[in-house]
Amino acid sequence: MKRLLFGVVDAIKAKSIQFIITTSFTLVTVLVVLFVGVMLYSKFSDTAEQNAYLNTQQILEQVKYNLDSYLIGTTQIFELVDDKIRRSQSVTSEKLNEQLEAIVETRKDIVSIAVFSKKGELLMGTPAKPMRNNSKLTEQSWFRSAIDDPNNLSFSLPHIQNLFKGEYTWVVSMSRGITLKGENGDIPAVLLVDVNFKEIDDLCQRVGLGKKGYVYIIDLVGNIVYHPQQQLIYVGLKNENRSLPLKYSYGSYVDETEGEKRLITIKTVDQLGWKIIGVSYMDEIVTTKNEISRFIFWLLIFVIVIVLFVLSYISAKISRPIKMLERSMERVEQGDFTAGGPIRGSQEVEQLSSRFHLMMDKVRELMNQIIAEQEAKRKSELEVLQAQIHPHFLYNTLNSVVRMVGIGKNEDVITTITSLSKLFRISLSRGKSIITVQEELEHVRHYLIIQKMRYKQKFEYEIEAQDEVLSCKTLKLLLQPIVENAIYHGIEHMADPGFIHISASLCEGKVLFQVRDNGLGMSPEVLDGVLAGSYKSEGGSGVGIHNIHERIRLSYGEGYGLEMESEQEVGTVVKVWIPCLPDDAQEG
Amino acid sequence: MGTIKRYTLYTLLMLIAITAFYSCEAKVEDPKQSKKKTVALIVRMKHGDYWRTVKLGAEMAAKEYDLNLNFYAPDYEEDSQSQMELLRQATLDGYDALVVAPSDDQVLQETIGLAQSSVPIITLDTEGQLPQVKSYIGTDNYDMGKKACEKMVQLIGKKGHIALVGTGRSTANAVSREKGVRDVIAQDKQVELVPVDYVQLDKKLIGELTRELVRHNPGVKGIIALDASTSIGVAEEIEKMGLQEKIKIVAIDSPPEVLEYLQEGVISATIIQKPFSMGYLGVKYALEASEGKQVPERVDTGTKVIDRDNMFWSENQKLLFPFVK
Repeated sequence: MKRLLFGVVDAIKAKSIQFIITTSFTLVTVLVVLFVGVMLYSKFSDTAEQNAYLNTQQILEQVKYNLDSYLIGTTQIFELVDDKIRRSQSVTSEKLNEQLEAIVETRKDIVSIAVFSKKGELLMGTPAKPMRNNSKLTEQSWFRSAIDDPNNLSFSLPHIQNLFKGEYTWVVSMSRGITLKGENGDIPAVLLVDVNFKEIDDLCQRVGLGKKGYVYIIDLVGNIVYHPQQQLIYVGLKNENRSLPLKYSYGSYVDETEGEKRLITIKTVDQLGWKIIGVSYMDEIVTTKNEISRFIFWLLIFVIVIVLFVLSYISAKISRPIKMLERSMERVEQGDFTAGGPIRGSQEVEQLSSRFHLMMDKVRELMNQIIAEQEAKRKSELEVLQAQIHPHFLYNTLNSVVRMVGIGKNEDVITTITSLSKLFRISLSRGKSIITVQEELEHVRHYLIIQKMRYKQKFEYEIEAQDEVLSCKTLKLLLQPIVENAIYHGIEHMADPGFIHISASLCEGKVLFQVRDNGLGMSPEVLDGVLAGSYKSEGGSGVGIHNIHERIRLSYGEGYGLEMESEQEVGTVVKVWIPCLPDDAQEG
Repeated sequence: MGTIKRYTLYTLLMLIAITAFYSCEAKVEDPKQSKKKTVALIVRMKHGDYWRTVKLGAEMAAKEYDLNLNFYAPDYEEDSQSQMELLRQATLDGYDALVVAPSDDQVLQETIGLAQSSVPIITLDTEGQLPQVKSYIGTDNYDMGKKACEKMVQLIGKKGHIALVGTGRSTANAVSREKGVRDVIAQDKQVELVPVDYVQLDKKLIGELTRELVRHNPGVKGIIALDASTSIGVAEEIEKMGLQEKIKIVAIDSPPEVLEYLQEGVISATIIQKPFSMGYLGVKYALEASEGKQVPERVDTGTKVIDRDNMFWSENQKLLFPFVK
């Protein structure tokens, strides 16, 4: 986990693959989820709002329908009653009374049927109950409207019926002018049918709009017909803005005057012009919206978290092998060629890794080779140097010099000592490993002078060189070991006087040294052993022919080196091939 | 990474995912469940328009503020024993706020004893001054007494003897009303109060008392009854004696009988309370108090003088006849 964290921090610093993958994918996912979320939210909330509107509309439509049909029903009853009274001979007739009683009994919502004279006297009443005092019926709205407009059926607001003794009941009064047949002509009167308000009250009370919403009814001028909180409104604890619904017959609007946002829906009852007003609370609709938005919000967070988790895992999986590869390259850069094994990961990375490792193997091989070559070169040079200052050679030479002094051959002594000094001077040649061909030949000549002194003229020699090659460069001390071999192995044990011929020439663009002797020669097996370096002779400087061959090849490459031909009892020819490198920089 | 390890990781991720998902769901659902509060309403009597109207108002508030209302009431008024039992029952049922109309002080003390200190207590229709009670909601009974007396003074032409019936009751409400009446009379030199004995709350005894009162004080011009039952008893007796023209009656409250007598002219006026407002405000403030909001310490729901002229005004009809039958 901690590593993952550090990984993320590192990734952010540099725009790593991990960072790019994680951020881009997260961004895309977040955008997609946001887009979908916003779409879903708007769709859902639209639908929720639509449903709320529709629901309210439907409920109100139902209330309206019920109310309408109820009012139509009561109107029919009224017409029936009216008809019966008109047909009857007299309002006090037994038959009429029976008929009306039957109506009141079958229709439980009819509270009473009564006919009043213009002065407010009771002419007929069903059920027959005594009148109350102080009812002030002529002042009541139903009476007045029947007198003012006798041909129109009027519905009163719900009120307490106080005309007859018994219980006080809430009624809606239907009234109209009626003409009765009397003994002295027609008598204008008022027909009153009181309908129990309970049915309408129940109808409205049953309607719920959400948890808090309700339905109320007002008449044409804004008086409350029904309101569940009527008492609170009269007491002043509540206020219902009734002026705005009065202006409309249909439709809905959002009202904020009571502090809360409320959806007001209005329908009008065809019969009376009463307005049914549905009040639903917006916060209940909004609750649905809030729930949706909260859900989408959590979903978004959840998706982002999951996506981040998965992406950081995936990107880490992709980028880790690359990082590992990079790390092992870094180690190589610092010089550790043994770094790392194969890295597992995607196909590309695995291939990259295996290529890299192949390459590393090659480099390592070459490095080892170079190291080995360098070591060999140094070793052979060291060997040559050691050979030069070989105590045995020096001792022998000095011995010869002493002997010569003893016999008084002063001239020979001078020659020998001079040669020896020259020999050493060239050998050392201020530590340089490259000298000119001329110097090399000089060196061999001095060596041969000394050896000739020692071997008492047992051999002759000749050195010849083309002028062009004299200034060419060569590794130093190439020829001396060959000449030494020729003397020690070829000529020393020979009965006849020996001859050593040394030449330096330009052949096929290369410099060719040839050392030829007419000594004992070698058998082919020995020849092969010498060339391969496996043959080691007794005594001598210890610098093998093979060493020279190796030195040349290390310095100049494959095309150069030694060639040897030998025949027993005839002699040996050693050819030394080196490249022709003119001595352009004349440095002392 | 080993395969087993990888699968473990995937499984873990899935588990986290599922848990997170369901916790989100739970977060959405939770608040709705815990939000709905319960208010217990304990009144003095199951029957009677007065207490039924209180209940109606309380139910209105419960619907409006979306809470549970538990309603408790004994069968008879002034039955403090069964009211205390109901109190214990309410405590068992659980509530977030308590609205109580205690029959006497003992019940109120019991209420305070039973309720946890964090639960707000609101009293209805009861005077008092206890620190444990968050709010007193009810009628200003002193003012009610004053109004009754002022109406009576006006009815009898500001001159003469009047009687006060229903005095000497132990309840604080009746005491306050009586004080209101007496304070008005003390200001008016021309109106005098005739002495009346204390009687039990019994219709027959009140009738007898009224008869005695009229016999001993033939010049009495008006009677003020200090509660609904007394009002009915007095009116019945006066009607029986045929003295309704001579003796004016001012009543308290509006049971159907009082309203009948009012329309018939036996009772000249009645001072009504507003039980609907009591029930509504009781529950409303109980809810607000339980939510830690500040509620008014004393709420006067108001009174109204009703006489024959205004009893059928449309704004009074709903007050006098709260139930649609």
